[in-house]
Amino acid sequence: MEHLKQLIKAPLLISLLAALSACTTTEIDQFRQADTEISGDESIVILGRRQSNSYETELDFVECVGNVVAAGNDGINVIPEETFLDEMFPFFEPRTAPMRTDHLEQLMRQDIAVKKLEEFGVEYIVWLDGLTQRSGESGSISCAVGPGGGGCFGFGTWTDDSNFEAEIWDMDTLSSAGAISADANGQSYLPAIIIPIPFLARVESNVCSGMGQQLKSFLNGSV
Amino acid sequence: MVKSAHNLKQMFSRFRLPTLLVLCSILSACASTNTITIGGSYPSPLVPQLPLTLGVIYNESFSSYSFTEVDEYSGEDQYIINSGASQVDLFSTILPAVFSEVIYLNSLDEAAAYPDLDMIFEPVIEEFQIGLPQKTRLDVYEIWVKYNMRLSSPNGNSIADWVMTAYGKSPQSNFGSVDAGVNEAAIEAFRDLAATFSLGFTSIPEVNNWLQINNVM
Repeated sequence: MEHLKQLIKAPLLISLLAALSACTTTEIDQFRQADTEISGDESIVILGRRQSNSYETELDFVECVGNVVAAGNDGINVIPEETFLDEMFPFFEPRTAPMRTDHLEQLMRQDIAVKKLEEFGVEYIVWLDGLTQRSGESGSISCAVGPGGGGCFGFGTWTDDSNFEAEIWDMDTLSSAGAISADANGQSYLPAIIIPIPFLARVESNVCSGMGQQLKSFLNGSV
Repeated sequence: MVKSAHNLKQMFSRFRLPTLLVLCSILSACASTNTITIGGSYPSPLVPQLPLTLGVIYNESFSSYSFTEVDEYSGEDQYIINSGASQVDLFSTILPAVFSEVIYLNSLDEAAAYPDLDMIFEPVIEEFQIGLPQKTRLDVYEIWVKYNMRLSSPNGNSIADWVMTAYGKSPQSNFGSVDAGVNEAAIEAFRDLAATFSLGFTSIPEVNNWLQINNVM
C-alpha cells in the first residue's frame, strides 16, 4: 500500500506542477480616441520604443506582435521594423524619433520624410513600449557528475511579469487613435529529479498574442 | 609493492607533459585578451543634400582607433575594441548623403590640388567608454563615444569645432557572447551619431553662420 502511494505521488506532483504552469493571467485594456479603418493596400508599421536607459522594447516582441497582426484572412500589411528604420533613417532612431504627435507634425513638414512615408503607404504607426521582468526567484538546484553518470536535484521557481503598451498614431490626422495595454504574469517551476523538467509560464508570448489580436481588431474598426 | 609504486611513477611521468600543456592552455585562456573588431553596415541618411564639395581627412589615430578595456581587479587588458575601420565606413556613408561631393584627403596639404573644395572636415575621437553587464550590473552592453568635429576652410582657417556624443546599448539577453553584444552596442552608438550629425549639422551655430554668409541656405 505504501509502495503504491509512492508510485502515485511523483506523477501527481508533476501533473500538479504542469497545471500550475498554465496559471498565466493576462489582462488587455483598450482606449479608443478615434475611429479607425484600414484597406488592403494600406500598411502599418510597429516600432519599439528604445529611449529608456534601463530597458528597451525587444525586437523579437515587436516582430511577434507584427506576425499576429499580419496573420489570417483579416491580416494587415505590416512593414518590418528594421526595413522601416533603415529606409526612414535618421528620423526614427532612439534619439530622434517623435515622442508625441506634435513631434510627428514637425516631421511631416519635411518633404523628404513625407515622400518616403507615402511610398510605404503607412496609414498607422504603432509604438510598442514595455518589458518583461523576472522576480521572486527562489529555490536551488545542484548537479553532480560522477564515474557512474550524473544528475540534478532540487527545485527552482520564479515569476515573470510583462507590461506592454501600444499607442496607435493615425497618419492622416497626425493624432493618436487610441492605446492598448497588456499586462500578464505567471509563475514558472523547475523541478529537477535527475534531469531538470521546466514548467514555464508563457507570459510574453501570451501578451504578444493578446496584444496582436486586439491591435488587429482595433485597426480594422471591429472593436 | 615496489613494482606497483614504480608503475605508478612511470604512469605519472608519461602524462606529465600533456597535463602540463593542458594546464598551461587553460591558464593562458583565462589571462588572454579578447579582441573585438566592430563590423556592420549603416543606412544612408534621408536628408536634403547641401550643394557643397567637402574634403575629408581621416587621420591615422581615427582610422585605426582602438580602445582597451582594462580589468579593474587584475589590471590586465580585458578587451581590445577595434572600431576605426567601422567608423570610417560610417562617415563614408553619411557624408556623401549630406554633401553633393566628397573628396577624401590624406592631409590638409592635399587640399590645394582641389580648387572646388568648400570646406574640410576632420572627425576626432576624444573618449570611448564601454559598459559591460558584469561591471555595471545592468542587463545591457553600452558604448559611449565623444567626438570632436573639426571643420575648416581649404586654407586651414577654422569654420567650426564642436563636440558630439554617441550612445548605444544592446540587451544582454539578445546575445550569446560579449563580442556580439559589444558589437551591436557600438553599431547602435554609431547610428546615433549618424542620426544626430545628419539632422543637426546645419544647426551648429558656426556652421549655420558660414552657410548663410556663403548663400548655401
